[in-house]
Amino acid sequence: MMRRDNSTAANTRIVGQVIGGEFGRVAIRQKAGIEMEIGDILVLEEKDYNILLMVFDLQYASQMDDKMHEMISGVSLEEDSSGNVQFYEPNLVNYVIAHVKPLVRVKKGGSPADGEPVSTMTKTLPPFTSKLRSIEEEDLKFLDGGKDGLFVGRIRSGSEVKNVEVRLPINKIFTHHVLISATTGRGKSNLVKSMLWHVLESRAHVGILVLDAHDEYYSGFVGGSSMGGSSMGVGRRDAGPGQRPYGLRDHPDAVRKVAYYSVARDKRLPGTRTLLINIQSVKPDHFDGVVDFSEAQRGAIHTYYNRYKEQWIRNLMTINTTDTDGSREEGTDDKRSKKFSASTLNIIRRKLEMVLGLYNGPDNTLRAGNTIFDVDDRGGLTIREITDMIERGQIVVLDTSHLHSETELVVGNIIASELLNRYKRYKITGELRHKPVTSIVIEEAPRVIGADVLKSGNSNIYATIAREGRKFKVGLTAITQLSSVIPRSILANMNTKIILGNELKQERMALIDSASQDLSDDDKNIASLNIGEAIITSVFVPFAMPVKIPLFEDVAASAARHKRHTNSVRVFG
Amino acid sequence: MKFAHLADIHLGFQKKESLQSMERKVFEAALDDCISRKVDFILICGDMFHSNIPNMNVQKFAFAKFRQVYEAGIPVYVVYGSHDSSPNSTSVIDLLVETGYIIKVQKTSQTSEDGSISLDFVTNKKTGVKLTGLPGLPASREIEYYENLDRQSLESEPGFKIFLFHGALAEMGPAEAKGQDVAKWGDSMPISYLPRGFDYYAGGHMHKYVHRSMDGYSNVVYPGTPFAGYPSDLEDNARGIKRGYVLVETDNSVAGGVYPDASTANTSAPLRVQFIDVPNYQYELLKIDANNKSSSMVYSEIDKRIDAVDPDGNMVILKVNGTMSEGKTTDIDFDKITETLLQNNAIAVEINRNSLSSAEYKIVESKGETNEEIALNTFAENIGGFKSPLGELMGQKGAELAQKLLQSLSMPSLQNESLAVYTERITGDALRIMRIDDDDSDGDDDSDSDGDDDSDNGGGSDGDDDNYKKELWNKGGEKG
Ligand SMILES: Nc1ncnc2c1ncn2[C@@H]1O[C@H](COP(=O)(O)OP(=O)(O)O)[C@@H](O)[C@H]1O
Ligand SMILES: [Mg+2]
Repeated sequence: MMRRDNSTAANTRIVGQVIGGEFGRVAIRQKAGIEMEIGDILVLEEKDYNILLMVFDLQYASQMDDKMHEMISGVSLEEDSSGNVQFYEPNLVNYVIAHVKPLVRVKKGGSPADGEPVSTMTKTLPPFTSKLRSIEEEDLKFLDGGKDGLFVGRIRSGSEVKNVEVRLPINKIFTHHVLISATTGRGKSNLVKSMLWHVLESRAHVGILVLDAHDEYYSGFVGGSSMGGSSMGVGRRDAGPGQRPYGLRDHPDAVRKVAYYSVARDKRLPGTRTLLINIQSVKPDHFDGVVDFSEAQRGAIHTYYNRYKEQWIRNLMTINTTDTDGSREEGTDDKRSKKFSASTLNIIRRKLEMVLGLYNGPDNTLRAGNTIFDVDDRGGLTIREITDMIERGQIVVLDTSHLHSETELVVGNIIASELLNRYKRYKITGELRHKPVTSIVIEEAPRVIGADVLKSGNSNIYATIAREGRKFKVGLTAITQLSSVIPRSILANMNTKIILGNELKQERMALIDSASQDLSDDDKNIASLNIGEAIITSVFVPFAMPVKIPLFEDVAASAARHKRHTNSVRVFG
Repeated sequence: MKFAHLADIHLGFQKKESLQSMERKVFEAALDDCISRKVDFILICGDMFHSNIPNMNVQKFAFAKFRQVYEAGIPVYVVYGSHDSSPNSTSVIDLLVETGYIIKVQKTSQTSEDGSISLDFVTNKKTGVKLTGLPGLPASREIEYYENLDRQSLESEPGFKIFLFHGALAEMGPAEAKGQDVAKWGDSMPISYLPRGFDYYAGGHMHKYVHRSMDGYSNVVYPGTPFAGYPSDLEDNARGIKRGYVLVETDNSVAGGVYPDASTANTSAPLRVQFIDVPNYQYELLKIDANNKSSSMVYSEIDKRIDAVDPDGNMVILKVNGTMSEGKTTDIDFDKITETLLQNNAIAVEINRNSLSSAEYKIVESKGETNEEIALNTFAENIGGFKSPLGELMGQKGAELAQKLLQSLSMPSLQNESLAVYTERITGDALRIMRIDDDDSDGDDDSDSDGDDDSDNGGGSDGDDDNYKKELWNKGGEKG
């Protein structure tokens, strides 16, 4: 909100007055000299309560009719170039009507410690002609969730950032799934980085798997692991600010709490773990929602899996069963496999070749054509190691930027399945309550939870997690540009949505329809969000919160500088 | 040029006489082989000894052997391992270094204010080979070291370079998640922490031979233990895993003295990395599945199966695991089995029954608000399965006694309390609780091979912890 005049004290806080409307859409006349913005939060004071309201629409109003304005405008434009056409008391004749909706009713002087609910929904209309003032930091004290929550940003009234932190209950939001939605360039990645950083800051016990398709979170470089040049040989301490952007690795606890896996082999940052997965870790259902197999192909795959267990891929790829005219040699394996047609097997092979990067080398041996899957004896513990780390409450970042999308998803599936299975087991044994909550962060989420992927009753591990993961403390943090393509049932399960700017009406509607608070009037509000501005709607916040997300670099810079000189170790002996 | 690479010898690990002598025999054979092959130098990458201060006769034996190697003119380069080092007390390694028989390569030239660690090279005079490395460290500190290692200076050093280290590298891990190795691999470190471009990475800590090359890291090698450092190593021996050391050769002669400048050594001088077998025992391995069998069935099965093995001149390993349907584990007289085998000229007998249990004595975990409550409820719930002629050990009384005992035994040591005083105090308390006055326990727990369970937790890492804790106590004592 802007103030155009320099009127003095007492009256200065008043910004408008109720002049009409209906419940949920109260009309306010804007005070002259005030320039309200969509998203501004206003306060209406009652005896024991404050009611917070938000501007969601603005329009002109005038005492004169339109014809009159048209005429005056004509005079002004065409005849009087000196701009001398003046109204008598223009502020009284022309003004702005702001439409506001109540957000929440707050008990004055209440604090969460009192036990009584501090904030409630409003159910009444504010008295006619009541005056509203702009919001102050005092008014938002009730939001103080203590230091234990996950910091996401500061409250915003319109584009004005208030010094009031928005913290979300960390143990709840992750298991109840988070959706982060915006068009490109509006700050999704920045938000995720900042949230992960603050997960590290908090003392909460949270394990997170990040499938980092752009390799942007750990080092701060986009395509981060391939940082070039001579600085590679040196420990991180030498890379000063200005030389490179910040990433999670700059967090003082990164060594203990963040693990970074990459397939990029050369010029890797020290500490990078090799993302190498033994082919034996891959099971048929890891392709669910990633690769489309026909009924017949599925049948063949499951037969191979049942017969050969973890050797199924090797055998499927290498045992020669192709022969359609029945003249095949009578080997035992051939015999057992003959019920599948050569074409079925060939199609499966081609798909596996594509997704896993496998191929059949000379002398019919299985080879890996890419750097992530191993067909020999390596990488057998990687999945276990990663899951262990998540289970210990660490953040595991997988640089999947070098992988095909399908390959990335299969890798994600393998880990997600392992994690969910483990946690299901812990639920049974009663160990679950001692385990950290977990979340899987995935970019371009419609790749796995889009309606087209989940069509005709198909499911996959992500859809399963979205639907029932919370019982097992496994959640999804889905990042997307498109929310409209995610089935309603899944969107509704994402209990916290962080909505950044979006110019596509269809997308905004999908978000509004599935929001935890009534956002039906917030279309314009969402459309007008600037970079880094967001609205958080969640079952865990008292109202849809307008926030400003901090710029990650600002967050990291001070802490990282602090870190660089605090290490002190001695080699004994 | 030619050098030998050994690790994880664990001298002093074996407690039984016959195994002890094999432990030494293997070590001697390996070093004798090095001498007769006239290697230019020997690398020993940690855990040469099973503890930082092994008992006197182990030390004497080792000194004599190293003296022989020394007199043959073969330098021995070492780093500490996880067993033979101690963060706050000395190690027998230091004594060997003092005498000049061995050379420690972990030399920090400077630990600068910003925390960065620079390492110096040790140059082998005869060959010009440059060596450096880092010792085995507790997992948490290991990363801290490597995080702060000044890699640049290490990588830009010209010449033929060897990096010695002691620890698990993730990229060297096994595909199969079996046995104790897994627990060790759990703490593994990514190879990207090591400086790149060395010609040879001489590793220790993993007890099986592995040799791999990968981008930026050629010839990363664990020779494995030459005999055994954990109970499960013997089992692996019985399964036929190869034991010995690694011999590395290049065609470049050392006649000219200094090795020719080889900043790109791994292309100009391909290494031949060869595993040299050092034989130890012949083994007989017997595995008995006790699941769903009564103790008497298991006992008679063991009897029958043992009849079929030929103990004469062999080491016999008997592994019994599973949950028996009835009877007690003590129904099976393992002592007698051992005796019989020894009478039939078995060289040594190892019995592993750590994962043997009985359904009759299965422990059911109970719930409760506090740990004490959980313990008490668990005791109360399970004590019914326990029969004893002593009434006070059974029922509610027994549960309460067990609970008190557990509580007393889990008391930590006091500040500045020495291990000896602590042990005495704790045992005294326990005996008082049990109202046993006569004191004949002298803290000797070597029998029953430490009860180390090698199948579900790494015996090795347990050892580390024990060592470490002992050190803490010692430290406390010294301070006070
Ligand atoms: N909260 C913020 N405050 C200020 N600038 C931001 C913020 N978030 C993002 N930006 C700027 O916008 C750019 C694009 O943000 P990014 O997070 O990469 O968007 P997305 O992932 O949605 O495409 C960033 O490089 C940064 O400069
Ligand atoms: Mg992005």
